[in-house]
Amino acid sequence: MTYGTWFEKQRNIIDYSLQSLLRRRIRNILIMIIFILLIFAVSSILFITGALTREMMITSSSLPDITVQRIMGGRQANVPASYISEIEDIPGVEAVETRVWGYFYLTALQANFTIYGMDLNLLEEGEYQKIVNWKNTPGHAEKNPDFRMIVGQGVSELLRDIQMENTYLFYQPGWQKPIPFDIIGTFKTETELQSNDMMILQTRGARQVLELPPDEFTDLAVYVPNPEETENIALKIRRYFPELRTITRAHIQNTYSSVFGWKSAFALSSMLAAIFAFLILIWDKASGLSLEEKREIGILKAVGWDTDAVLSVKLWEGLIISGISSLTGILLAYAYTYWLRAPGLREIFVGWSSVYPPFRLTPDADPKFLLLIITIAVLPYLAVTVFPAWKAAITDPDTIMRNI
Amino acid sequence: MAGPVVETINVTKTYNHGKPNHVTALRDASLQIDEASLTVLKGPSGSGKTTLLSLIGCQTKPTRGKVAIMGKTVSKLPEKFMNLHKRKHIGFIFQHFQLIGGMSVLDNIVLPLIPEGISPKERNRRADRLLEQFDLTHRRQFKISSLSGGEQQRVAIARALINNADILLADEPSAYLDSGLTNDLLDYVRQLKQSGHTILITSHDPAVYQNPIVDRIFEIKDGRIASS
Repeated sequence: MTYGTWFEKQRNIIDYSLQSLLRRRIRNILIMIIFILLIFAVSSILFITGALTREMMITSSSLPDITVQRIMGGRQANVPASYISEIEDIPGVEAVETRVWGYFYLTALQANFTIYGMDLNLLEEGEYQKIVNWKNTPGHAEKNPDFRMIVGQGVSELLRDIQMENTYLFYQPGWQKPIPFDIIGTFKTETELQSNDMMILQTRGARQVLELPPDEFTDLAVYVPNPEETENIALKIRRYFPELRTITRAHIQNTYSSVFGWKSAFALSSMLAAIFAFLILIWDKASGLSLEEKREIGILKAVGWDTDAVLSVKLWEGLIISGISSLTGILLAYAYTYWLRAPGLREIFVGWSSVYPPFRLTPDADPKFLLLIITIAVLPYLAVTVFPAWKAAITDPDTIMRNI
Repeated sequence: MAGPVVETINVTKTYNHGKPNHVTALRDASLQIDEASLTVLKGPSGSGKTTLLSLIGCQTKPTRGKVAIMGKTVSKLPEKFMNLHKRKHIGFIFQHFQLIGGMSVLDNIVLPLIPEGISPKERNRRADRLLEQFDLTHRRQFKISSLSGGEQQRVAIARALINNADILLADEPSAYLDSGLTNDLLDYVRQLKQSGHTILITSHDPAVYQNPIVDRIFEIKDGRIASS
């Protein structure tokens, strides 16, 4: 009798495993469908959490070191200009910038947009020039320099159907007449989340739309050159002016991170029941080896197969099922999250669907993610598949076959 | 080879040994079987024939005593080496054939060769030779479940011979066969004996043990070898 190499033996065993899976194809397809759904659900949650955290981190990286807001009666109130010089005098503060911004609800689109006021002339210079796609809009814009705006790429697409040429009319019930703004350009940022709801208006026009009085601002942006000093300066501002609230960039980043982490943990723990149900199902499927499977193991042992060859077959069967299911589940989750924009799940995670118009998430796959999937899905599946087979395989073939 | 091909010395087999429900199926069984002979283990149901055959066929280990195949004591070997010895020297035809129903005739026959790492081409070459010998070529890709009893038995014999075993063991091979198929079976057995195989059959069918091709009969009664 001639003997083949270890590789030939493994090839034969893999062939046999595939044959064995095909013989029980209906049951295996059923298990794969459940497996794929489970992996898909877990992967989608992890993908969307990762992507949103990334979007938020990128967004927050452009925030000022300290944002200062005024609180009156528990609500955010406008900040009078008198605070600017006083904060600037605090040692360690490099600059204090005023910010004019707010939200505006567009009834036609049933979504909130962020209105940001700034001097658009500044955007025509330096680094900003590169991110803005300027339009040629002579005439009205020149006549009304305070009523110009640039909008995010996504906003531009949304407004296309409801604007008049390059002019958009802001209007709210109670106003005597709409306020026309010329769209003089569009901009695109690294994340769609950032640019898809934003309209940057010339400051004076923005004040009119947001109904903000002169010499008052939405909040103040404080810049501190030494990051070690940031918390200290924030504390000083709160001590000197108890009515002011300070929010540091680090604080915002931590909040985003913990909010999405918490939501992810909540969603995953909600799925624990499904994961356990699946494990029970496969345990039942595997530990309750059917008579046919026990008999097959007995026959293999009886014709001379070693226990490790029988286990190799079961291991390959488990790897094929769990590997294909995991890969399919992950790919489907990738497509669902990044191509289809995670309908259903995104609203749960973003939390305020009426604020953000649709945005595309940027792929952000973490290698640790694969390890997590293997830990929660593939390894338990292999364990519950191989263990009962091992129990059957270490029994004398004589005993197995007499009991059947 | 010089000396017996199969030898058992005071072999005892107790199932569920050490447990309250233990059953001693075989006691102090000693026998010797010569090369190229046909031996029958005869006895009523439950007498211990199949247990003795299983011990000789390395399907289980004795509780006490020694089993030697081709001069090598296999009863003390670890499973891996016992299986190696089994694959090299023994072909086993089981009472209910023990074929895998959802698999084809070809796949069933080559089953013992898979863990040997023998290439599919070589496996198929060997199987085709046996399929032709047992007139099963036209059933090569048929599922076992679609075969008649006689065809299934021939598949079981072919599987037992695929590894070119020296020793062929058959457990009640005529139990589910009519007289015509039993005669066919005995023809195959005669051919195998003539080609030098050592054959050991358990049977309580007179058509088998009274056949002139049988060289020796061991009668087993209540777990003991009563006569030879």
